[in-house]
Amino acid sequence: MGEKVFMQGNAALAESAIRAGCRFFFGYPITPSSELPEYYAAKAPQENLVFVQAETEVAAFNMIAGVASTGKRVMTGTSGPGFSLGMEAMSYMSAAGLPAVVVNVMRPGPADGDILAAQGDYFQAVKGGGHGDYNIIVLAPYSVQETADLTVKAFELAFKYRNPVVILSDAMLAKMMESLELPERITPNENYDWTMTGAKGRKHNVITTCGDGPIQWENYNLALQKKYKKIADNEQRWESYQVEDAEIIMVAFGSVARIALGAMKKARAEGMKVGIIRPITLWPFPQKAFVGLDQQDFFVTELNAGQMVEDVKLSVKDKERVSFYGRMGGMTPTPNELYEKLCELYRK
Amino acid sequence: MRHELIFSGIGGQGVMLIGELLCSTAVKEGYTVTFAPSYGQEKRGGRTMCQIVVSGEMGSPVISAADLLMVMDEKSLVEYEHLVKEQGYIIINSSLISIEPTRKDVQIIKVPINDLAQEVGNAKTANMIALGAVLQFLNFVDKEQVKTKVVDQFPPSKAHLVEINQKAIEVGFAYAASTK
Repeated sequence: MGEKVFMQGNAALAESAIRAGCRFFFGYPITPSSELPEYYAAKAPQENLVFVQAETEVAAFNMIAGVASTGKRVMTGTSGPGFSLGMEAMSYMSAAGLPAVVVNVMRPGPADGDILAAQGDYFQAVKGGGHGDYNIIVLAPYSVQETADLTVKAFELAFKYRNPVVILSDAMLAKMMESLELPERITPNENYDWTMTGAKGRKHNVITTCGDGPIQWENYNLALQKKYKKIADNEQRWESYQVEDAEIIMVAFGSVARIALGAMKKARAEGMKVGIIRPITLWPFPQKAFVGLDQQDFFVTELNAGQMVEDVKLSVKDKERVSFYGRMGGMTPTPNELYEKLCELYRK
Repeated sequence: MRHELIFSGIGGQGVMLIGELLCSTAVKEGYTVTFAPSYGQEKRGGRTMCQIVVSGEMGSPVISAADLLMVMDEKSLVEYEHLVKEQGYIIINSSLISIEPTRKDVQIIKVPINDLAQEVGNAKTANMIALGAVLQFLNFVDKEQVKTKVVDQFPPSKAHLVEINQKAIEVGFAYAASTK
């Protein structure tokens, strides 16, 4: 690993992307993601980067589709309102198999909402906010260090599966400063047999988003589904904390998982058997983490109205054992607040 | 070991800057540090608050019971005094805060932050006065180390401001000591 630095989440993400060989960034500034374009713009001359402040997110998302079709690493970063504008391109990039990385630094919606931390874009990222049967790989870091590590991983996965990848951050994680080890610089392979790089001397490649009749397009869809199954089988990521003897298992992702850790620590100190499952991939959802956990109660906590609850219920044997507590609008629970909720559950 | 601090004020008072300054000093000393800022949409005049956790391991960036709260304005005191642990410290900027805290189970330190900054000779050093006062109650970083880090906060063209800011830290530190 590289050098140790004290950095903000957004800055660490941008720096890690540059180190992972992502030389192209197109975006439109929006709080709390603006440090991403800012960082790329500032580093562009010395690092030989290509940075464009697009006229809208619609344009930025289509620009990354263009670069991704040439086999080069490319990224955009935005927040909820901009992510919504990018949904058309997400659907198209999924159909075309374009390995672009998209960062959504979540803020509370719906609409403009506020600029503090939230996780209300879970459905949009995980279930697909655009049209058609497609899936995006969604990575949810919980620290500045993991933000850096998963940025590198995002590009690897995008190219491994020729699929868009979303890094789902939030305002707290993005603005937070922590010490971390930056990833090593790499020069990625940019030679693939499917890219749009000029057909001189080879057969011409086709990247399409449009069917040639229902039979052909159904087969195309079936091939996509086969790819999604392979991803779901191979790429589930999570971290479990003290689940072995736990009676209540908290389920939390992103910055809320950090608060849950604080609550778990307090509960354990009081003799309560509490553990945590922290999904790192939100799609594919880490169902494997729940295998064999049939006797426990599950307590899901998020900065939304309970969007991940559905995926947890699909992963456990007894749906009745799943409960939820969340905050919205930019409000965040304290560790003590979650601890109080755990106590209520424990008494039942 | 785990220290939790909250600094809060109004946008423009320099609350974030002293938080970052303290954190980068603690990082240099080898601690695991989380600096979690939070602010409103306004460029100036909105609420700015930062939560600082200094420990040996990674934990919650959101604080339930802070060891110390430093408030620059009245609204911050009202909003966050409940987040201080019993026998914890609340440092109050008595230049701008005329109300009394409702908490009776904590230690209150009143520092006329803005007035002291005027006496130092630059009203903009108020945040450094506050930082100096805070440092009186911390045992994980040394005042001299923080003063050394002040240099990094200014570009070469503003290097002449380093000394007065370092002096402000001393003045805040000394004033807080006199309240003990």
